[in-house]
Amino acid sequence: MSKPKNNAEKVATAKRDSLMELLKMEGAKIYNDLEKGQFPQFYVPSRSVSNIVYDKKLRQYILGKAAGLRSSRNMAQLRSFTQLIWLAFFANRLIQEKKSSTLRDIYYSSQAFAIDFEDQPESDNIIVDLEAVLARPREDLHIFPEERSSVFGDLTIEYTVPGYEGRRTNLSDHPDGYLIGPSLSTAELVDTSAELVIAIEKGGLFTRFVEEKVDKKFKAIIIDTAGQAPRSTRNLLKRLNTQMKLPVVILTDGDVYGEHIAMVIKSGSANAAHLRELTVPDAKWVGVWASDIEKYKLPTIPMTESDIKRIYDLQKDPRYQEGIWKKELEIFLKIKRKAELEAFSKYGLTNITDKYLPEKLELAKSM
Amino acid sequence: MSLKETFSQISPSEFFYRNRDLAGFSNPTRSLYTAVREFVENALDACDQRGILPDVHLIIKAVDPEKPDPKPYILTVKDNGPGMDSKQIPLAFGTVLYGSKFGLKQARGMFGLGATMAILYGQITTNKPVVVSSSVDGKDSHEYSMMLDIQKNKPVIMKHTTKETGKKGLNVSITLEGDYSKAGAKIRDYVYQTSLITPYATITFDDPKGEKFHYKRIVDTMPSPPTIIKPHPHGVDVETIRRMIVDTHYEIPTLDNAMIEKVRKELGLAKKNLNFEGIMQRAEKKWASLSRPVRVIIALMSFLQMDFDKVMKIRIDDVDLANKHLTYWDFGESKSVMVDMPKSSQYYKQLANTVAGESLVTFLTKRFQRIGPSTANKFAEFASLKPEKRIGSFTNDELVQLSDSLQKYEDFLSPDPTCLAPLGEEPLRKGIQQFFKPDFFDVIQRSASAYSGFPFVVEMGIAYGGEIPSGKINVFRFANRIPLLYDEGSDVVLQVVNETDWGRYKIKNDSPLVIVSHICSTRIPYKTVGKENVADRPEIEKELKLALQFLLRKLSAYMSKRGLAEAEKKRSNLYQKYLPLIAQFATELAGKSKEPDYKKMIKDLGTNVEAKE
Repeated sequence: MSKPKNNAEKVATAKRDSLMELLKMEGAKIYNDLEKGQFPQFYVPSRSVSNIVYDKKLRQYILGKAAGLRSSRNMAQLRSFTQLIWLAFFANRLIQEKKSSTLRDIYYSSQAFAIDFEDQPESDNIIVDLEAVLARPREDLHIFPEERSSVFGDLTIEYTVPGYEGRRTNLSDHPDGYLIGPSLSTAELVDTSAELVIAIEKGGLFTRFVEEKVDKKFKAIIIDTAGQAPRSTRNLLKRLNTQMKLPVVILTDGDVYGEHIAMVIKSGSANAAHLRELTVPDAKWVGVWASDIEKYKLPTIPMTESDIKRIYDLQKDPRYQEGIWKKELEIFLKIKRKAELEAFSKYGLTNITDKYLPEKLELAKSM
Repeated sequence: MSLKETFSQISPSEFFYRNRDLAGFSNPTRSLYTAVREFVENALDACDQRGILPDVHLIIKAVDPEKPDPKPYILTVKDNGPGMDSKQIPLAFGTVLYGSKFGLKQARGMFGLGATMAILYGQITTNKPVVVSSSVDGKDSHEYSMMLDIQKNKPVIMKHTTKETGKKGLNVSITLEGDYSKAGAKIRDYVYQTSLITPYATITFDDPKGEKFHYKRIVDTMPSPPTIIKPHPHGVDVETIRRMIVDTHYEIPTLDNAMIEKVRKELGLAKKNLNFEGIMQRAEKKWASLSRPVRVIIALMSFLQMDFDKVMKIRIDDVDLANKHLTYWDFGESKSVMVDMPKSSQYYKQLANTVAGESLVTFLTKRFQRIGPSTANKFAEFASLKPEKRIGSFTNDELVQLSDSLQKYEDFLSPDPTCLAPLGEEPLRKGIQQFFKPDFFDVIQRSASAYSGFPFVVEMGIAYGGEIPSGKINVFRFANRIPLLYDEGSDVVLQVVNETDWGRYKIKNDSPLVIVSHICSTRIPYKTVGKENVADRPEIEKELKLALQFLLRKLSAYMSKRGLAEAEKKRSNLYQKYLPLIAQFATELAGKSKEPDYKKMIKDLGTNVEAKE
């Protein structure tokens, strides 16, 4: 399942060029406005709750048509307008110089240009604004979050970051796995022998899976989502699913949060409703289900008030109105208890890989 | 068992000694403060009355600074006023109630009373004399050292010296028991606030700790002095009417040498003696040219049937109109004699009128302000009293009827405010500016109004920002140019300030704000004897409210104007900061080499930018 190298590069370059063209266009618009003595302005798609709708066809949340005007004519918006154009300017430099930065970097870099963000949440928010204006994820702008999850398995990649261009690595070379960082996120996926991707919520289990050679036993690429999957991880899952045609299964703790981690990988989050390319609509949540708790006689802990409240909240979400999503939520609410992935250790450390996983993967085929 | 009671007269000095709490001499702290007030106010009043720009120097010194409080202090107040005639000094400072008779005009206090109380207090607590030195001409200075004889209400002069001086004015020094560690803050406040409301005075205070407080004169013009006026009919009660009637009585002249000389002179008999009949004939001829006292003497002589020699040997004791007889004491015979006064005599009426005083109409027009004969007659009809009835012949019931009717009659003109001496807007304005150095200030003097027949004027000033600290709105209360420092809780001014809806004026109630309120009246309606808080008369409350509302509207207008200017400046700053940045970033993004020309936009800001969010 290899892809020709020049094709991959072509795709990446085309994507980059179109983004730079977009940035240049926005810059030119503002330049011309100023030249004409007019106050420049942007339309920023509204990210308020009322403008977030679920698109059944795309099977993810998307933004509606509402957009807010961010105008430099308005004194109250002048600062955030300047912040937004600074960010576009700064991202443009990052792309040109092929450098990456983190959300925190952005916050500090701004200070060199007399752009005063009050705190990082403010700069983070402007980054999301720019994502919405350009309809491109921040990773395309070479801005990455600190949070990193890992990947392990037989997957050959080719770097595109400066200094590593053309260099290849196989992700099964290092038993701790590879960080899903900027260089991995921008690398081309070259080849794999895997037939499956297993996304797992916890680092501890990820290590166990590597030790127990789950990658070999089940021909799988194992990904540690480290809780709620970061965007770069979701983007990698998406590419593995679409470019390498690998099915994705998800293993989480047996609680309402685990269920939702799986849902976000499958159909996105409201926070990223302005972005596409982050969802794996065919991903399958294989456990731990509420019904597994009884079935596998797992040790449990009682749910907290906030666990129960979260169930009621999710029951209102359109995506939880059918299938196992609805059913398992109801069982959680009924038993009011939860079980962690580690609970299988009661029956031996390898119980989860020897017994539970094969059963679930078998089950997934029929889902 | 029979109970024998003794009633003995007490002198006024002794009365005040027994009642010193009422006059503010209850303890060393309060007494020191009260004494300062009395002397400073006397000094200021003395200068005011003569139109002299006051220069008052207050010195408090501990007799023995090492001793703990309370301890004896020497309190000295010097002024540059008119001084006091040497002969009057012992009486003025050595007796209680001397010169305390008051006309109806605005003054800080009643002269003499409080100061004498302070002297008395000092003498009681330290047994030291009061030292008064005075110069009326700026050449000779008389200095008296004296004590009060409390029992006899008489001054005891211990030392009287005369020396040369270069300055006019009065200098009073007493030694008294005080507590400066406790009273100091109040005294300093008092001096500070007095300077604020007396911007035409220079006030210096040397305190016992060696600190000097010097408040220099801010304005060189004095407010016009008040005129003494008669009372308004709404402002008197039965007791006042009784006292006024006593005043209106024509006195029966004393039959002394001087009086007899006067009679002889008017009759043209200075060097000539006539017998009784002769005198009567001469009097009848000259009647039209005779003065009233001489007519009274002639009338008396007509009933006594005496000539000058005899008349000089008697003393008239009583003129009894009801029984129509006259009683006198004969010095020669040493006995009391009674003679008839037949009503048929042409002289009867002269004597009767003298004793009974003025007619009601004359009484009203002469003794009250703003009543003419026609108002007086209309009033008499309203009160069902005979307009010609002599006021001295009114029965008790008639007096009550008169008093009630004076209160009820509504067609009297409102009280005459010329007896008031407000500070005036300009001096108040300058005082406030100098004292608070504010960003904004304004003052208002309301037109005169009246409550219960007493005229009053409200003056108010407001100051905002500048050197004024925020936190609590500071209210300075003054009445007749005296600062009110105690009992502010129940004061009408505070009440009006507290009831203010600050939100309406867009002013926060922790703003850096000072309110100066000055009420001038011939009678301030104090709530308590301490004279520190003004009662909430509706008329006064209304004037205070209107004054405050006027000033707050001004402040509110200033604030919104300042707010706009600040917003304008802020906006301009903002664009000057951000537009160049936008231009810089857009230039690089657009791949241009030259920045767009945005400078014109900053210039045009005022018209181009929306201020709203």
